[in-house]
Amino acid sequence: MSAIAPPRPSRTRSRVVASIVCVIVVVAFWSVDINWARLGNLPSEIVRYLWLMFSAPDWSKLGEALYQTWRSVEMAWVGTVFGIIVATPLSFLAAKGFGPPPVQAALRGVFAVIRAVPEIIIAIIILSVTGLTPLTGALALAVGGIGTLGKWGFESIDGVPRGPIEAVRAAGGSTSQVLRWGVWPSASPEFLSFWLYRFEINVRASAVLGLIGVGGIGDMLTSYTQYRQWGVVGMLLIVVVVVTIALDAISGAIRRRITEGAPVHDLER
Amino acid sequence: MTAPASVPAPAATARAASSTATPPPRPAGRWKPWLAFGVIALITAVTLSPQLGIAFSLDAIARNWQNGAAKIVQLLQPDWSFFPRTIPPMLETLEMAVIATAVSTLIALPLSLWAARLTNPNWVGRGVVRVILNIVRAVPELLYAAILVAMVGVGALPGILALVLFNVGIIVKLVSEAIESNDAGPLEAGRAAGGTQAQINRAAALPDVWPSFVNQVLYVLELNVRSGTVLGLVGAGGIGLLIDAVRTYFRYDQLSVIILEVLVVVILLELVSSAIRKRLV
Repeated sequence: MSAIAPPRPSRTRSRVVASIVCVIVVVAFWSVDINWARLGNLPSEIVRYLWLMFSAPDWSKLGEALYQTWRSVEMAWVGTVFGIIVATPLSFLAAKGFGPPPVQAALRGVFAVIRAVPEIIIAIIILSVTGLTPLTGALALAVGGIGTLGKWGFESIDGVPRGPIEAVRAAGGSTSQVLRWGVWPSASPEFLSFWLYRFEINVRASAVLGLIGVGGIGDMLTSYTQYRQWGVVGMLLIVVVVVTIALDAISGAIRRRITEGAPVHDLER
Repeated sequence: MTAPASVPAPAATARAASSTATPPPRPAGRWKPWLAFGVIALITAVTLSPQLGIAFSLDAIARNWQNGAAKIVQLLQPDWSFFPRTIPPMLETLEMAVIATAVSTLIALPLSLWAARLTNPNWVGRGVVRVILNIVRAVPELLYAAILVAMVGVGALPGILALVLFNVGIIVKLVSEAIESNDAGPLEAGRAAGGTQAQINRAAALPDVWPSFVNQVLYVLELNVRSGTVLGLVGAGGIGLLIDAVRTYFRYDQLSVIILEVLVVVILLELVSSAIRKRLV
């Protein structure tokens, strides 16, 4: 019998999926309330504004900008520290085999709900107690951090090899000793890198929180955008970009050092 | 901690066997975690100090507690009659998210091929794309939205533009990293068969990155819905406009309806996209 080519794989399903996606996109374009005629001169407008912002950035306000940046970074730092302090014990409770199962499920639900709410909405709720201060921003970032740090934390504890834990239990260790000697040594690199990563997220989010008036660089940026002082806005954007990239680079270097371990010096002893 | 960085070489074991058994020396550098802890505590103290820092004061909280408690009670009693008014702006948020995802997908696909070493051997072009996108990614989308609203006026358009700007940065970074981690074999086969770079990318690179590309697009859609809910706070369209309105009148009973709605939409979307991801893998 001559060789028969196998039948072509059916493409019906991928075609159906593709057409559903297309329909959704077309409906969205068709129903959104935008004056598409405005899109025509948009590129030239944007080039004009970019020119206004970056042809002559106004460096006279640099001192204030750096001060406000420091306030934003402070918010991010305090938010990260508070988030870590609350989230770490909670993530142990939410991990398999440490807390009672109902607590486990409840905490996992709480983490999911917090992660679904943007930090800026958390800040709007908190500011009814603390007012429009940087503390509000820090607390909002801390609450937001509980959602992400808690989730990453229990996932990482769930992934810890069971051997050392059983060994500590077999040797008669208490729960806290199990955590210290069975879980922490293998989970700590991941925890440290989550914490740094959350700090990077908080640096960005703290700039955003300024929009509702809690202070920091975002506050200054919105004010000068409303005054339409484009030279200052350009300078502020440059400051935001430089500070964010610098902090990312530092924290990224520390994270790599933690996850990849120390460079080996003394093998040839 | 458990394992010292340097494991004793076989010579050391032999030495231990010949002489009497002495415990190995404690690993050096046990002071390092304490130093790190001290530095962290110092920075935290500075950031919390009243002169330099954010003035953490409990008495302000104590004074405002009454006010805050009233607001939180309000928050716990959602005003359901407000619900019909939230639907059109919520739909606008979803439309903005879908449009922004679609547009940024179209822009990001060629750029990610451009930004990966395997699919673009020319390091100058690659470097330019990467540097520009690193800069773009450093600014949060809400700040872009605030500036774009001042440029093109209030409405969904600045919101979509801000989302697109930020999305392209994320998709290109994640997808070009996925391309780099792929097997170079099929691409070399394409080159050996005499294909141009564009033909190689089309025939060998794209099928390989397709699942991770769809994955990132779904992730970006989730991000867009989540941040699309707050873009309106700066006037960039969607349900955020309503959040801004109810918050200026301190209608926390209406705010809680909006928050619950956002929660339901975000969690539903997460469930759908994780179901799609499972089928993809």
